[in-house]
Amino acid sequence: MNKVKHRAMSALIVAALIIVGLGVYIVRYLENGAKWATFAVGGYTSGVVSMGTIVDRNGVVLANADGSSRTYADDWSVRRACYHAVGDYSGNVGTGALSSFAAQLAGYNPITGTYARGGREVKLTIDSRLCVTAQEALAGRKGAVLLSNYRTGEILCMTSNPTTDPADSSAEIADGTYLNRCISVSYTPGSVFKLITSAAAIENLPDLSQQTFTCWGSMDVAGVTINCTGSHGEQTFEEALANSCNVAFANISLQLGGDTLERYVYDYGFTRTHKLDDIVTAGGSFTKDNPGTPGLAWSGIGQFEDAICPYSMLRYVSAIASNGILQEPTLLVGKNNGSANLMQSSTANKLRDMMSYNVQAHYGAWNFPGLNLCAKTGTAEVGDGTSHAWFTGFLLDEAHPYAFVVIVENAGAGITAAAPVANAVLQAAVNG
Amino acid sequence: MPQLDFNGTDQLLPILAQVARFLLPILALVVLFRCVRSMLSGRADPETWGYLVTPQGEVHPLQHWECIIGRAKSSDVRLPYEDVASVHAVVTRNDKGDWHVTDLSRGGGVFLNGKKVEEPEQLVDGDIIRCTKHMVKFATNSEQHRALQEKKRAVAGWKIHSGTTLFFLTLMQLLIMLQFFVSAKEEYRFQTMLAFFALILIEWLCYLLMRTMDRSGFEPETIAFFLCTLGLCICATATPGELVRHVVLLLASVLLFFLFGWWLRDLNHVKALRWPAAILSLMLLVLNLAAAREVFGARNWITVAGFSIQPSELIKVAFIYVGATTLEHMFRSRSIFYFIGFSAVCVGGLALMGDMGAALVFFATFLIIAFLRSGSFATVFLAIGGAVMAGMLVLSIKPYVAQRFMTWGHVWEDVNGAGYQQTRALSAAASGGLFGQGAGNGWLKNIVAANTDMVFAMLCEELGLIIAVFAALAIVALAIFTVKNAARNRSSYYVIAGCAAVTMMMVQMALNVFGSLDILPFTGVTFPFVSRGGSSMLSCWMLLSYIKAADTRRGGSFVVKSGAKSRGEDDA
Ligand SMILES: [Zn+2]
Repeated sequence: MNKVKHRAMSALIVAALIIVGLGVYIVRYLENGAKWATFAVGGYTSGVVSMGTIVDRNGVVLANADGSSRTYADDWSVRRACYHAVGDYSGNVGTGALSSFAAQLAGYNPITGTYARGGREVKLTIDSRLCVTAQEALAGRKGAVLLSNYRTGEILCMTSNPTTDPADSSAEIADGTYLNRCISVSYTPGSVFKLITSAAAIENLPDLSQQTFTCWGSMDVAGVTINCTGSHGEQTFEEALANSCNVAFANISLQLGGDTLERYVYDYGFTRTHKLDDIVTAGGSFTKDNPGTPGLAWSGIGQFEDAICPYSMLRYVSAIASNGILQEPTLLVGKNNGSANLMQSSTANKLRDMMSYNVQAHYGAWNFPGLNLCAKTGTAEVGDGTSHAWFTGFLLDEAHPYAFVVIVENAGAGITAAAPVANAVLQAAVNG
Repeated sequence: MPQLDFNGTDQLLPILAQVARFLLPILALVVLFRCVRSMLSGRADPETWGYLVTPQGEVHPLQHWECIIGRAKSSDVRLPYEDVASVHAVVTRNDKGDWHVTDLSRGGGVFLNGKKVEEPEQLVDGDIIRCTKHMVKFATNSEQHRALQEKKRAVAGWKIHSGTTLFFLTLMQLLIMLQFFVSAKEEYRFQTMLAFFALILIEWLCYLLMRTMDRSGFEPETIAFFLCTLGLCICATATPGELVRHVVLLLASVLLFFLFGWWLRDLNHVKALRWPAAILSLMLLVLNLAAAREVFGARNWITVAGFSIQPSELIKVAFIYVGATTLEHMFRSRSIFYFIGFSAVCVGGLALMGDMGAALVFFATFLIIAFLRSGSFATVFLAIGGAVMAGMLVLSIKPYVAQRFMTWGHVWEDVNGAGYQQTRALSAAASGGLFGQGAGNGWLKNIVAANTDMVFAMLCEELGLIIAVFAALAIVALAIFTVKNAARNRSSYYVIAGCAAVTMMMVQMALNVFGSLDILPFTGVTFPFVSRGGSSMLSCWMLLSYIKAADTRRGGSFVVKSGAKSRGEDDA
């Protein structure tokens, strides 16, 4: 009997495995419970919950569902302007709040599950009025407008065109309507990329302030002609940025080399994806070319194979605006996604002053009445003869600490196509 | 919340039902904790049936009905001499109180009062047993002395009263009734209440029956009734039309539990029917194979006179019945080879039917029985090797079995195809949180096979993760209890049968729970006592008889004859 009774212990192996298995489940439950639970209330496929209310920062209802009825904002223009931020009940916009914040809408938490069946209110940081203003300023052109408070990280305006009215099921859907161009698309940056090349130059070229850059409209790099937008003559570094001089920046890129540029693009987060709350944003791309090649020269000017997401640019200018410290953006009122030291404060301050100089000396402060603006334009050639218009920057105004990115596709020069859109949204944000 | 037309109660009852969500896990904890404490904390006093005394005056008490004399350290009576075989002889006691000695030494020689033992020889008080040249004197334990010793043994449940534990379980059942009163459809409300009342009645009648038999150990039954309560919840929420059938089956199962337990009391009865049980099992299996026209996946039931029966469930009970063995038998015969053959046919037959889950359960049970009988890892590894090859064969023949393995760990990649059931199960389970949506308030019940293969998720959804985990732990508690009891069992038959029964339950539960949660491949077996299925309920209660047979605490189990009186008289 002694023999058998010792062997009987072997049954406990199975018992131990069961305990381990339950442990595995509980860990997975704590990690993924929200995802699992919202899959169910989402009607299994679209990942959108049919409960809860989404409101904007001022309490304007953007979407509401109580299990049986599903409604959107009352106003047609609000529905269209906030379409990408909110998403729709069919789950077409994967990055929309209805999909991304399903767990909060369902009132899920690991303790009580989804017992709070009425659903919850999710308050977004966006101001639907600003979104409407931005959408109107885009005037039907494809593009994206992002505006955030760089002190708190709150995104006040996020709109994308083409858009649609989610309440109108018969509306015609243009190609690319379901993409939120603010966070899910990467564009050729053109001259806004010079802000990154500038940061690398400030930190890596010790004699930068003594250097002058002479532009006669073009230069030759290994047999290939790099064209400039004008003939800028002899310039300092500051003037070269204000002129957005391709010759000067080709020269600087060749001095810096591909490795340095690539490191800065990565460190500043342009080639990586980010998490805006739980929404994964698009990463960018940067290809370094060999020393002395035209590819290297073009890559520092924001052409070649460069591509960046407007959201990454918003993070970058936000950091420049506040001494190099980035407050990570958020779409949820009351949420703090933390801050990080993105760049040296001296570099940030230098760039800030140069961007302020850009506006004062070249873009014309009178184009932005009442705004203490620091900015950079971009006119990105996209290969079909047209250009994407970029305008990005921020306000030096403690009462209105706003950073912004505007891109208008195939619309021509940044200063003529994108800057007025930015001005319209900023005026609305500052003056109400 | 459903609309109720009772004046004044339409506000109060739903609120009480909500409060019940938080009280249920507490009551479940109390019930389970009391059972576990009572089962595991009691003093493990052995019974002493006789003595073997060496010439040097060493006294070896005989604490089981089967004791090995030998050189091996694990012998019950150890003779540490070179010329003694490691397993030399066995002394056994039968139900009538007669002792026998049997030679297991294969040539070393066992002599009783100087005469060589060829066949088992009966022992009387004062007999001298000689193993080669080493002598021990056999002495019986006088009835008076044993009665005195018996009085000193701790009574089962003396510290923690089983009746009080059952009272807490009843409270839990009343709260669940309250929840169903609020959530059940009007047409089923009355039936649901009646079914729970019937459950409460059955459990208290059982308890009273035990008390009249002077048995105070009721923990395994309480755990079974706890699980049956959850099973009734599943039935009430998923198939309320079957409530009457469910309760009738429960009653039948409990009756069978008593009958089978009574049968197990006498090992002579048990031994007599081992061959018939084996033959009957094989016939059932063949019948099933012949009748099984393959539907999707497994066809593992036959229909007899309008009742659908799962032969594999009944064969489970017989499998253990055939597989367990007494010590004497274990060392004397080559019966293990018959058993391996029998197991291979059972596992192979089930695999052929496409019932992968049942085949796995049988195989795991086979492993534990083979190990308990042989103690040899070689046998066990041989068996594993054979099974792996057979498994490959099955996988190659049955593409849908292979597909289940492919899906394992990737259920979210095909939520409307191969991962359909598991994703629903995980989703429903998560939406219940720790306290559940309340009995009757889930949606998982609408998914096919939720009330059999995904009951753990249904429990999580409606009663909460805490109760669901308790349900799994309840089975584990039965296992630990049975293993603990192994130390003081009378016969190895009960040790093997008890361990095999709990292993069977645990493996089945693990495959069910972890299969639905995508931690193991989805095999579609039932959760003991909880899943829907009449045959499964019957077999689970019969397996519980094996567990009761291994409980030799004083007054612990109706399956074990009281130790105080003896010589065949039944004290019940
Ligand atoms: Zn130039």
